[in-house]
Amino acid sequence: MALTVLCVSFVLLLVLGVPVAFAIGLSCLATFAVEGLPFETAIQMMVSGMNVFSFLAIPFFIFSGELMLHGGIADKIVAFARSLVGHWKGGLGLANVVASTLFGGVSGSPVADTSAMGGVMIPIMKREGYSAAYAVNVTTHASLSGALMPTSHNMIIYAFAAQGAAGMIAGHAVRGVSIGDLMFAGLVPCFWIMVCMLVAAYWQARKFGYPRSEDGRSMVHPFPGWGTVLRTFVASVPGLFVIAIILFCVMKGVATATEAAAIAVTYSLLLTVFIYRTMTRERLLKSLAKASKTTGVILLLIGVSNMLRYQMAYLEIPETIEHALLTATQNPWLMLLYINIIQVILGIFLDMAAHILITTPLFLPLAMQMGVGPVQFGMMLLLNCALGLVHPPVGSVQFVGCAIGKISIGEATKTAWPYYLAIFIAINLVTYVPGFSTWLPSIITGHRVF
Amino acid sequence: MPWLTALNARLSRWALYIASICLASLLVVVVYGVVMRYGFNDAPPYVEQVALLLVISVAMFGASTGVRESGHIGLDSLVRTLPPKVQFWCKVAVEVLSGAFAVSLILGGIEMALSTRGTTIPTLGLPEALRYLPVIIAGVLIVLFCIELLIALFQGRKVEASWH
Amino acid sequence: RTFRSADVHNKDFPTNKAVIFMGDQLSKSTGGKDNVKVFGDSALGSEKDTIEQVKIGALDMVRVNFAAFNGIVPESVLPALPFLFRDMDHFRKTMYGPQGDKILAGFEKAGFIGLAIYESGARSMYAKKPIKTLADVKGMKVRVQPSDMFVSMVGAMGASPTPMPYNEVYTGLKTGLIDAAENNYPSYDEAKHFESAPIYSETMHSMSPEVLVFSKKIWDTLSKEEQAAIRKAAKESVPFYVKLWDAQEKEARAAVVKGGATIVPAAQIDRASFVAVEKPVWDKFTPTPELKALVQDIVNAK
Ligand code: NA
Ligand code: NA
Repeated sequence: MALTVLCVSFVLLLVLGVPVAFAIGLSCLATFAVEGLPFETAIQMMVSGMNVFSFLAIPFFIFSGELMLHGGIADKIVAFARSLVGHWKGGLGLANVVASTLFGGVSGSPVADTSAMGGVMIPIMKREGYSAAYAVNVTTHASLSGALMPTSHNMIIYAFAAQGAAGMIAGHAVRGVSIGDLMFAGLVPCFWIMVCMLVAAYWQARKFGYPRSEDGRSMVHPFPGWGTVLRTFVASVPGLFVIAIILFCVMKGVATATEAAAIAVTYSLLLTVFIYRTMTRERLLKSLAKASKTTGVILLLIGVSNMLRYQMAYLEIPETIEHALLTATQNPWLMLLYINIIQVILGIFLDMAAHILITTPLFLPLAMQMGVGPVQFGMMLLLNCALGLVHPPVGSVQFVGCAIGKISIGEATKTAWPYYLAIFIAINLVTYVPGFSTWLPSIITGHRVF
Repeated sequence: MPWLTALNARLSRWALYIASICLASLLVVVVYGVVMRYGFNDAPPYVEQVALLLVISVAMFGASTGVRESGHIGLDSLVRTLPPKVQFWCKVAVEVLSGAFAVSLILGGIEMALSTRGTTIPTLGLPEALRYLPVIIAGVLIVLFCIELLIALFQGRKVEASWH
Repeated sequence: RTFRSADVHNKDFPTNKAVIFMGDQLSKSTGGKDNVKVFGDSALGSEKDTIEQVKIGALDMVRVNFAAFNGIVPESVLPALPFLFRDMDHFRKTMYGPQGDKILAGFEKAGFIGLAIYESGARSMYAKKPIKTLADVKGMKVRVQPSDMFVSMVGAMGASPTPMPYNEVYTGLKTGLIDAAENNYPSYDEAKHFESAPIYSETMHSMSPEVLVFSKKIWDTLSKEEQAAIRKAAKESVPFYVKLWDAQEKEARAAVVKGGATIVPAAQIDRASFVAVEKPVWDKFTPTPELKALVQDIVNAK
């Protein structure tokens, strides 16, 4: 009964168009009423869900991303990427992939990345002979790497959700997950996604003959020379340096991940005010205000997800799902396939923060029984969530990209399959090849990471 | 109701100011903690709890402006395929339901604040109830914003964001 | 009826097993009428959250560390007082005896029925170097829980108390962000802290135990017989728990040694040098004559 109320009310509210955070909150409250639980407990769980020390990194990473966005770092990265690969066939598409991946690392947020890169690249690409759909798809998909970068606030959310994880992986007792391990674990998959996206973007550009003018002529720019490449690279290095700072702080123990995020903000401020001299008072206030609003939206989602997590635990749903899946199969390959399929379906409805918090307690224990460690599972989960950001109907990154490119969601989705394929390959590599995500952090940290 | 619009535009701006100030203070407090520990070997023990109080303020005030300036993510592609008349009532329902959630924030927040008023926050000595204050205020703001959005719907107007 | 009880540890942890055992005893004595369902792994929230739920009656029971009650029940601070207990025997004699019952009774004013105290071993310091005397710990950055008591205790030793989330401690120790942390053997083992701080000095500075409490709001709706049955079952779970805990602690001690940790035994610790500086902390956290008398009672117990 309670379970029916929970599910039915959630789907109804969502379809009606109630914002996701309120839909989760209201369906939980309805279930609290059915169960006869005092509803202030729901509010308590919401507040305590938001009031987690490691979540302080979330406003900081968002703020630092906003500073980088309004401080014009994006233009410098675009200039570098363009001078490097802009003269090839489909060169702007390739430049966009490189730039989006790099800025993904700087901002740690696919949405910020798409608004930054899209704002600069999509109009240029449209002007210089690429279709809007191509420009939008390249930007949105390459931006997804932001979710796996060290500046990603989603990684912080996952590290928190997985902190109680315990089990035996390959004969080693594993407990919890360290944020430092996770940060390094994302780098190889990110690089791989970039390579896949480059291939997809190049292939599609060849197929459609981009860039081409109205009359069908090809319009490729000449190579600007290595001097320009070097100059634009030097100009964008200070921006990219923020990734290195975070990794350095966490690895060398200067600060915790939370404090590293605060240091990243301080660095972004100093950089845009004193080095780039692009930060005005208005831009600073705007960055602060936008970061506050985004923080509110994300933390409210985190809060209501904690309400839902409580409700699910109370109704013993995780045990039920675990039992059902273990009855369905004992084969690790199949089990991981099922988990990925469910994740993709959930990605349709849920936003990233809610998705991570709700599904980690459901699937991480199962994945660990199948020999997948918490770091590897985190990469799987983040990639699945990232895919949800670019597929309809609720894909916040796709929304932003289409709004900038002034095209409909349907138009973008029609030619998006090569990029979906690229992410699909990445998800499967991460799922079935542990070393893909665990090799680099094991090498760097000097202890085995699972 | 122009007075409500004027009031809400101001409240929404103020909420954003407060959230921004709290975010800036959050940064200052955490960086101060790092500098004191790393530079002076003297970590202030209250940093963690102050930061937690600040972050809940950033979140709740930020989230409440998000309601007026439609910042919260929802699924509206299905509703958009319906006839205008039905769409209208769906939008009305969304505002009413959002308002209902905000009312539960107010009531639940007050209940929790009353229940925790005797408990102190470690290292600060302040009452635990303080944590629920931003929740209650945000609830009130969201209710006001939802009423405004409802009235605007019936008058066929759009609510102008107080800030871009 | 089924009473719901919350815990932050996983289902195999001694505290969870003890509460499950208590439920079985209760079920037996009430002819299956009452039993207990345990929700482990923080499924229903943190220690602080679940205490609040018990208070308002959303949850029937909870097992938490005494530290979580420090801001709510003044008596809960006492067993954590630095160097209060001379050794484990002293702890058991008092906390499983009349002094323990007095402390449990203190929970009632705050809206809780204190059912049982479960020991949690002794918390000791670990670092990259041995800590034998007060001088060794001076100037060290020591990770503490966000608790006024632990902040004062470490501060009184002349060290720098550094509150830090538990899941950051491993890396913090490894990289030198903090110099030392303090905990009991099972946590030292479980969180693998011995990999980053391999020298465990048995300072045994605090023995803050675990406590099992029942919601007073729900308690008052129960019959006298049910109340008596619950109290009895809870008391019966204590010896069962102590056996499990002992085994767990021994196992953890062996595991950390096998993992490369060096143990500085309690006999080599200059306890007197520590005790001398902690007197003001005792005074600070026992503000009333009643609390002072209770502490004296514990100290005098032979
Ligand atoms: Na970021
Ligand atoms: Na989606």
